[in-house]
Amino acid sequence: MLTIKILGSGCANCKRLEQIASKVVSDLAVEAEVIKVTDYNDIMSYNILSTPGLVIDEKVVSSGRVPSPAEVTTWIANALVAH
Amino acid sequence: MEIYSSIIGLLQGGLGNLAAYLAAHVLLCLVPAFYIAGAMTALIPKESVTRFLGRNAPKYVSYSAAALAGSVLAVCSCTIVPLFAGIYKKGAGLGPAITFLFFAPAANILALVYTGSVIGPDLAFARLFLSLAFGIGIGLIMALIFRRSDIAHDKATDAMFSAQSQRGMSRASLAFLLILVALLLAGTLKVGLLINSYGQVTLPIPGMERFQEFLYQLVPYDPAKGEEGVTAQGAILIGLLVLIGFSSWKGMEHIHEGFNRWTWIALGLVCLTLLTASLGMQPHAGGLDIRFTGKFFGVFLALWLLAWLLFKKLTEDQRRDFLWESWRFVKQIFPLLVVGVFTVGVIRMLIRPEWIEALAGENTLLGNLAGVIFGVFMYFPTLVEVPIAKMFLSLGMHRGPLLAYLMADPELSLQSILITATIIGRLKAWVYVFWVALFSTLAGLIYGSWVDGTSIGIVALYLIAFLAVLSLTLYLVNKRSSQKATFHSTASTD
Repeated sequence: MLTIKILGSGCANCKRLEQIASKVVSDLAVEAEVIKVTDYNDIMSYNILSTPGLVIDEKVVSSGRVPSPAEVTTWIANALVAH
Repeated sequence: MEIYSSIIGLLQGGLGNLAAYLAAHVLLCLVPAFYIAGAMTALIPKESVTRFLGRNAPKYVSYSAAALAGSVLAVCSCTIVPLFAGIYKKGAGLGPAITFLFFAPAANILALVYTGSVIGPDLAFARLFLSLAFGIGIGLIMALIFRRSDIAHDKATDAMFSAQSQRGMSRASLAFLLILVALLLAGTLKVGLLINSYGQVTLPIPGMERFQEFLYQLVPYDPAKGEEGVTAQGAILIGLLVLIGFSSWKGMEHIHEGFNRWTWIALGLVCLTLLTASLGMQPHAGGLDIRFTGKFFGVFLALWLLAWLLFKKLTEDQRRDFLWESWRFVKQIFPLLVVGVFTVGVIRMLIRPEWIEALAGENTLLGNLAGVIFGVFMYFPTLVEVPIAKMFLSLGMHRGPLLAYLMADPELSLQSILITATIIGRLKAWVYVFWVALFSTLAGLIYGSWVDGTSIGIVALYLIAFLAVLSLTLYLVNKRSSQKATFHSTASTD
């Protein structure tokens, strides 16, 4: 089971990233938990300089932009292989 | 009956203000500015600036990098807050973080362009330079006042900043950004080369003159009060704007799933609108004269180059990020701006010029303080401070207090105070507010005296004298505290 975290305080880009991540997860039918992290201290502990951030299994894969569904799919697939 | 007609009058004032703003100011300045902001967010790699913000960077590097980050990276709170917290907690410390926070709202491209086109380039430049000088000044002061806690707190790592790769901008992205700026300049600069017309056609559309008369009746205006009417060209442009809004909603909202037909329609409409706005139009009894100005050719050339770069040179990811970020800015800021401008138009009818003139008609200490206090206690969404400032100006406010207000309002919004408080603590946040209020008042006084005719040399002298006193004080305090620190450390080794 994957843990996917969306880092961001609730700005438009964070919501969009959450939508994309959830959609990819359901399209791929992988077992994954999507968690929103909104507390600034928690966000800062991931060493990112701009939100939204995407964290898969505690590893930051993107920050500061909204990645495309294709990119998110690749990252999730990589994480599954690592499992 | 009286109440009824006065309500109609108020609504007419609001609508008139809105229509005049949309037609006159939005297109050739705000549309490119939104795209520039989008391109900056999407195409400038943040690492290229932030790697100078580490804890080990020398002071002059970290403060200038903080100011630069404020003006090019921080167009929205998505970037401002994490970057502010990052600089403070893991990077260069409180001083540069404050400089960044102060400079970002005053010097981002949207604020500068809008101030320049609505109120005047002189005020935009004053806003830029004084914010830069004072942003660094306040940063230094804060770093000094709170130096103990700044050193004590989180010595841990600046690995986050220094380990960043030195990825620069690709040449295509840089060219793209520069041509966007050129597009903005071609549309807004008022120089002969761009304003002169180089050809003219007359379209035989009957009734154009009556259409124009009708518009002036619909939105009555009084040039003496600084109001603007709506021209036939303005009405066409407003119609095009509505179409752009609609097609963008369809085409940009789901751009992460790929381009669709509406995306192309929206982009085509944006180009068409910018070209229409750059033409000169003169309705008369026989039809409509269309003048091909230098502006038109400049805008056409810039658009053509942009399209070529966008589709041939940028990667698909960059293209998508650029369009999405630009659309997001429009979606986030534009509706608030429309509501704000309308409200300003209504309020404009209710305020008597005598009140403003009595309070801030002259460049006095009291007038500047009034401007600052209004800025601190009122909270307006991004960019709405500009039409409000324009209203004050037309009601007789002096340009000095006006600048004081423009410096204080975005710097000290409720939002920024709250953010500052959660990240650096309440005491530091309020000390920051105090300094911003003081410096804004000062900025207004200095700029106001320049407007009143004091020679630039004397103004520069004031500024230098003030900065000299400030740095001397800082130097002395610093020296004393470092002496104390050595004394303490020798005492403890004994």
